[in-house]
Amino acid sequence: MSQQRTLPQSKEALLKSYQKRLKDDIKSMVDNYTEIMKLAKIEGESQVSRPMHAEQDQYEMEVRAANIVRAGESLMKLVSHIKQFLILNDFPSVNDSIAHTVHRLHNTQKDCDTKLMVLRDEMSAHLFELEEEYYSSGYK
Amino acid sequence: MSENLTKLAHKIDFTKDQCDGKNYTSTEGDKASEDESTGTPFQPSLWPWDSVRTKLKMALTEVSVLQDVLNITKQKHYMVLDTVSAEAPEARTGLHLYAKKRTLSLASSVLLNGAERLRRSQEASSKKIVPDFHQELLRVRQTWRLKKVGDTILGDLSYKSAGSRFMQNGTFEVTKSDVDPIDLLDSPNAPSHSQSPLQISVPSELEGVVYIQVVIKRLSDSTDLASAELSLPRRSVPSDTYWQHKLEAAQNAIFCKERSSPRSADSLLRRLFTWLLQLSREAIQVKAKIPHLVIGNQIFSHLFPGVQLSVALCHSTDKDKRMTQGSPSPSKHDPVLEHSLHQLLRETHFKNIYHPLPHPVTGIVGVSKRRCLAGPHAFTYSDMVELSCSESLLDRILKQARHTVVHQWAIKVVDELARSIQDPQISAHWGNISSPLESSIKVNITTPFVLHILTDGMRAVCKDGRVIDLSWEPQHLRDLILSQIAQHHIISVQNLSKMMGWPVLSVNTHLGIGDVEPVCNALAIMLASPNGTRVLSIRSGPVSRVRVGLQRYPRRSAPVTSSFDGDGTPPSDIITDPKWQNLGSAFMRVDMDKIEGRNFVNKIEILMASLTTE
Repeated sequence: MSQQRTLPQSKEALLKSYQKRLKDDIKSMVDNYTEIMKLAKIEGESQVSRPMHAEQDQYEMEVRAANIVRAGESLMKLVSHIKQFLILNDFPSVNDSIAHTVHRLHNTQKDCDTKLMVLRDEMSAHLFELEEEYYSSGYK
Repeated sequence: MSENLTKLAHKIDFTKDQCDGKNYTSTEGDKASEDESTGTPFQPSLWPWDSVRTKLKMALTEVSVLQDVLNITKQKHYMVLDTVSAEAPEARTGLHLYAKKRTLSLASSVLLNGAERLRRSQEASSKKIVPDFHQELLRVRQTWRLKKVGDTILGDLSYKSAGSRFMQNGTFEVTKSDVDPIDLLDSPNAPSHSQSPLQISVPSELEGVVYIQVVIKRLSDSTDLASAELSLPRRSVPSDTYWQHKLEAAQNAIFCKERSSPRSADSLLRRLFTWLLQLSREAIQVKAKIPHLVIGNQIFSHLFPGVQLSVALCHSTDKDKRMTQGSPSPSKHDPVLEHSLHQLLRETHFKNIYHPLPHPVTGIVGVSKRRCLAGPHAFTYSDMVELSCSESLLDRILKQARHTVVHQWAIKVVDELARSIQDPQISAHWGNISSPLESSIKVNITTPFVLHILTDGMRAVCKDGRVIDLSWEPQHLRDLILSQIAQHHIISVQNLSKMMGWPVLSVNTHLGIGDVEPVCNALAIMLASPNGTRVLSIRSGPVSRVRVGLQRYPRRSAPVTSSFDGDGTPPSDIITDPKWQNLGSAFMRVDMDKIEGRNFVNKIEILMASLTTE
């Protein structure tokens, strides 16, 4: 049996987009890290004055660090989305759980039925005697 | 000549060092290639020295600017020229390093903060302190139908999959609650329900408590004969999770949780609506003798004269429920009717989904098995018509309700008679197997007869094989039992006579003489004593009860007790022959109350015994 079923177009696109997001995020992390490393290097003389240069470096690094964090969060979100996708579209497991529930309920039903039958038989036997007793007693 | 001059004038490049002799050695061909490379097309000018003039002008401007700058710096009023220090880079390396270090530490702190957030959220989910959204979602998914539309997760509450034909979209939305798991990690004492990472929002029209109330009422005194409330049963074990409560409430309509804002809604509402809609539609379609009334959410229908059935949809919000919780409902609740109505609904749903096999691809879906066989079996038109007319839901409910009413009346009649009539002991045994439309009762009056209670009436099957169909009127059953009692007296006397050796002179089950009974006919039996000197006449009527008369041979002037037909005949003076004494005299009534014995049969036995030995 082929496990690979043909997914609808939209699902296919969605999965592709998940892959793209994963790659983008990882790339963004790596790129930003490399950039930070590059910034960490002390450069030679430049046109801009030192304090200003330092300030610029600081901002750039912060932004890049924040970008890395954002990419991480985005990955977490991606994981959550994939989980959600799996939960909502994993029909075999849902069917399994439904089958399980149905089986359980069937068992319960059978159990209840047998118990009810026994109860009914007992009750009717007792009821017969009670009726007999009631109708022949003076207290009607 | 002038063209060539202009070309050469263009060639003069003021920016280049004129001493470089390269250009002068270039050949004519080089010049041509340079023309192409510069890309400036040849423009014939009016004056060949035009470009040279422009460039000289620019040079003049620059020289003027330079002179201005020099003047200004000389005056030292507006501008000061500073010497550039050569040792600066070496002196500021430490500062530079420090700045870089600070910058890196700031960046690393940002990274660490982010990492810490991620780590903590991971920790929270791994430690199971906070229920994971996805786990909850998975559990919801296992029980409910969910799908993702855009960014929202929508669920379906309707009973479509269970076979309901009511197409109202009962959607609910699953959202992630705003509670931050990290906050919860910090405060583990938070109330349990707020920890649920799932939030369910249901449409506002589904909020509240909804049930269908079926009430059977007697119109004369508006007392309830039976009532049933249709709603889903409560769960015996309440689950811990909030959403489950909510969704169950959403389907149950009963479950109201004491939450800050519990929203109990139900799709039962929809189901019941379906029902009600279908019912009301049918109510209008079905042509009854007394038409069904549909007013708002209520359907009124007449079961029997004076007995009304009302099917109503009750929808109360949570607040109303709380207000009315204190007062118990005055109506008489009938769980059997309720159960059978539930079964009816389930059956309808089941039939909607499961069609009998096989389904021909080209055939209509939902054709009954019998109709599939109609072709091969060559059904006639009338058979087909019979097949096609199906019973409407309302009809079935009416039938069940009628049965319930007739059933109740039968119980009442039998019990009343058993209570009021002591002599033949009446005992009844209810059949333990019954259907919503049929039940049975075995009434024992020495000889048992079985009473089937149907929807529109009753059917009595007597021991002797007679089948008597009765209408729904309780009086008819009463009459039947009374006549059975009358019959019982005569039969028991007949049996007794065999044991006592009294020959039976006549038995008449439908006596044509004497007082006319309001119900049925009286029965009579005449017995002779073994030596033939006594005749007992016993008449038993359903209403007039048992009367016993005694005749003696030979005649006696004094009556045993009071006369049967008024006064006893006095001895005649004219007829003196003793043979006439052997003629039967008038019957004298026996006062049965004064005869010893526990019951009628016992009394008759004693009477017979005393008359035999007399």
